[in-house]
Amino acid sequence: MSDGADPVAAFRIEAGELLDQVERALLDLTGAPAHRGLIDEVFRGLHTLKGSGAMFGFDALARFTHHCESAFDRVRKGQAPASRALIDVVLSARDHMQALIDAGNSSDPALDGAGEAILARLASAVATAPAAAAMDAAPAPEAAPPEAEAGWQIRFRLPEGALANGSNPLALLDELRDLGPCTVVCRMGELPALDAFAPAECHAAWEVTWAAADAGEISREAIEDVFLFLIDDMELTITRPGAPAATADAPPLPADTAEGPAAPRPAGPPRESVRVQAERLDELMNRVGELVIAQSRLELLAMAQGQVDAASLRAVSEDIQRLSAELRDTSMALRMMPVAHLFGRFRRLIHDLAQETGKSIELVTDGEATEVDKTVIERLADPMIHVIRNSCDHGLEPAGERAAAGKPATGRIVLSARQAGGEVLIAIRDDGRGINRARVRAKAEAQGLIAPGAPLADAELLQMIFAPGFSTAAAITNLSGRGVGMDVVKRSIETLRGTIDIDSTEGDGTTITLHLPLTLAIIECMLVRVGAGRYAIPLSAVEECLELPATEVAGTRRRNFLDVRGELVPYLRLHDSFASDHPADLYQKVIVVAQGRGRVGLVVDQILGNTQTVIKSLSRFHAGVSAFSGATILGDGSVALILDVGALIAGAQKARRTRGDRPAESAGEAA
Amino acid sequence: MNAPASHSLPAIAIPERMLTFGLGGEHFAIDAQCVREIMEVPAITRVPGAPAFADGLLNVRGAIVPLADLAIVFGMERAAHNADTRIIVIEAAVEEEAATIGILADKVFDVASLDGAPVESPPQVGMKWRTDFIIGIARHAGRFVILPDLPRIFTECVGQIHRAAPHLPA
Amino acid sequence: MTASILTVDDSPSLRMAVRIALTGAGYNVVEAGDGMEGLSKAGTQRFDLIITDLNMPRMDGLTMIRELRKSPTQTGVPIVFLTTESEDGLKAEAKAAGATGWLVKPFNADQLVKVARKVLGR
Repeated sequence: MSDGADPVAAFRIEAGELLDQVERALLDLTGAPAHRGLIDEVFRGLHTLKGSGAMFGFDALARFTHHCESAFDRVRKGQAPASRALIDVVLSARDHMQALIDAGNSSDPALDGAGEAILARLASAVATAPAAAAMDAAPAPEAAPPEAEAGWQIRFRLPEGALANGSNPLALLDELRDLGPCTVVCRMGELPALDAFAPAECHAAWEVTWAAADAGEISREAIEDVFLFLIDDMELTITRPGAPAATADAPPLPADTAEGPAAPRPAGPPRESVRVQAERLDELMNRVGELVIAQSRLELLAMAQGQVDAASLRAVSEDIQRLSAELRDTSMALRMMPVAHLFGRFRRLIHDLAQETGKSIELVTDGEATEVDKTVIERLADPMIHVIRNSCDHGLEPAGERAAAGKPATGRIVLSARQAGGEVLIAIRDDGRGINRARVRAKAEAQGLIAPGAPLADAELLQMIFAPGFSTAAAITNLSGRGVGMDVVKRSIETLRGTIDIDSTEGDGTTITLHLPLTLAIIECMLVRVGAGRYAIPLSAVEECLELPATEVAGTRRRNFLDVRGELVPYLRLHDSFASDHPADLYQKVIVVAQGRGRVGLVVDQILGNTQTVIKSLSRFHAGVSAFSGATILGDGSVALILDVGALIAGAQKARRTRGDRPAESAGEAA
Repeated sequence: MNAPASHSLPAIAIPERMLTFGLGGEHFAIDAQCVREIMEVPAITRVPGAPAFADGLLNVRGAIVPLADLAIVFGMERAAHNADTRIIVIEAAVEEEAATIGILADKVFDVASLDGAPVESPPQVGMKWRTDFIIGIARHAGRFVILPDLPRIFTECVGQIHRAAPHLPA
Repeated sequence: MTASILTVDDSPSLRMAVRIALTGAGYNVVEAGDGMEGLSKAGTQRFDLIITDLNMPRMDGLTMIRELRKSPTQTGVPIVFLTTESEDGLKAEAKAAGATGWLVKPFNADQLVKVARKVLGR
């Protein structure tokens, strides 16, 4: 009766986690090589992997892990130190184990070869010959020579404490009876005196006899097998009445390993799973429960004969609205995972990078508890790896240079995460040499991205780094490749509807900040009307709303600035941007949004209110219109476009530039 | 190849059943199998900055579907909507991927089998439309019926959009 | 009455495999993730059989067995522990701690059910 659960799939997931634990412990061990707790942790992990692996048919894994476990056992016994070299080999071994798990039961000579190589390194690291394969198939149970026509007679007595320890003489007798029809006689002859009589002990002995006619099929092993668990401690005599030479207690049987477990099924794609906090699930259930109640109230109202009481309807509607919002939040919370998960992966990366570059690098993390949607985490991994690689490869200077600059010998990478408004900010900071403006400039000019000598703000110069094919690395190392990293990184972040910022001080270091929306699918928006169309502006971008001063209403297109408490805020008339042929409202509103480091106003005809919207992507036909990041269906069934504020403004700036406006206006553009 | 116009070529494979509709005074026919539904014209959301041929969005049962106007593709006048105007929601391949798209029709006629009717490839000259946008021309019920090559049309137009990289006027 | 079996193991996949095998054979199965949870569950209900791994965090199998046997309510409850080939010496120690029998990893469903039947007598 299967309940759809697949132990092999569950094992794969578990094994992945075990391997992560082992890796963590190994990395920690590099800093504290004599730490008993960590050594034990590594050993336990390997041991469990070996046992469970064999259980689910991962024979190659079990064999390989067995050798690793034996080698690490030497460390555990203090016979070999947890040297850096050893830790590195075991880290490689851990990677190999993951590969073996992924490969399932299919054999791969290349994989086997790699495994052998690792074991060889392992052996030399603990300075011992690799243990002979201890996982040989168990020797076949000795077949008893067929005996001539004779019965069996056994006499047995259980060891002290057998009953307390769960042995059941009646079950044993049943098993013996299953072997064949027999006579059972209970011998009470050796009962101790009353004062020595322990009621919980089994003082009886039994004799069981099979006549020759019934004993034909019964082998000695079969009888001894019944007493498998007790045979070492009990009294047992087995004789063949009617045959010469009775034998004393037979030696214990080898363990029953003749039949192995079934081979694992070919690896299908693992079903995705998510670790979820139990409280969140409870909350979800509560909300659903309340929603069901609200729904039945609604049903009653709907079925009511005659007039529906407007107040009741409103009440139910508000309840449902509240519950949907709570359900939405709770469901989204289920998908949230702390970034610690992600940051943890980079420990190994930095460790390896330090090896490869020969630099001393430390990783510091901050805000690991910050939670982010699961999909975002998955898609962040690659871009962040790129950025970290860049920092380690190009950003951080080699030890000599650092010393000359008065910096500590160990380079430092700081990963931090925090929530701010509707965004999550993830920053990667290195204390390396920073971005060399002159080199970027030269490269940009060489690639024709800017005209030589053309004035360019520092922020815009740094943005050149994201141009495709851009790389200022003098030597293209193996690590970061040809600088295809950064433009791909930018695109990946943009796919997540996020943005990426660079901040860099020459000689001091570089910080890359990723701005990510809190969730992919649902956002809180401000609904506005421009002309005949309705649009949604993500609330996280909105800072404030103002009335467009009467003076500006009739203003010319040239000077679009507002004075907001002394600050000059440029604005964009969406009516014009959207080429609406609907006459503009008399009193228009300005929505001030944050953009980059500045603020911009968006002029709309009417503010319709806030709403939560499910973001739907635009079709391929409209994907090119960068001003809109998606669309949503409003309560009345109509479609509203969701503004991509950044792209909208960038596009307007570009258009203005193309129009060849005078520099005075360009200066008014937000940074 | 200098194939002369208007001669039957080796049979062009056409689907069994086709939906015929009228647009800009002409009759068109598309594979009935790719038609998901036919609906009356709902509120159309205009997408500023989108190319004229596909500048509308619809809500089709909760999904956001772009609206394509074949009249623009074929250089015809954009007709005003009336009681007969319908939107045909189809599944078509765009750049090798399946997509749901709505197309405008002045009037939907019927689903018919064009079997047996001779289908000719469009003549190379004398055509006011791009010949590579048309699979062929058939005769049905006494009229010429145009069989548009929808995947080709859509892919081409999307490609144009990518290349133009439109942005809004300031 | 259906026999109730407590399976104690820190490996969810192994617990799952054991549960599937035993429920398939008609037993009720309750799970615990380590020795402490095993003790706690055994305290609330008398099981007909306890199957436990030895190598677990928080409280290992041997400690759990010893603690279990201290309690008069657990007297006579069969306890089977899971072991690997290489842990032969552990068998004696486990028996001394109060275990009834063992099952060697890797094992399959049939072997598991066979041991359960043997020890339970049904």
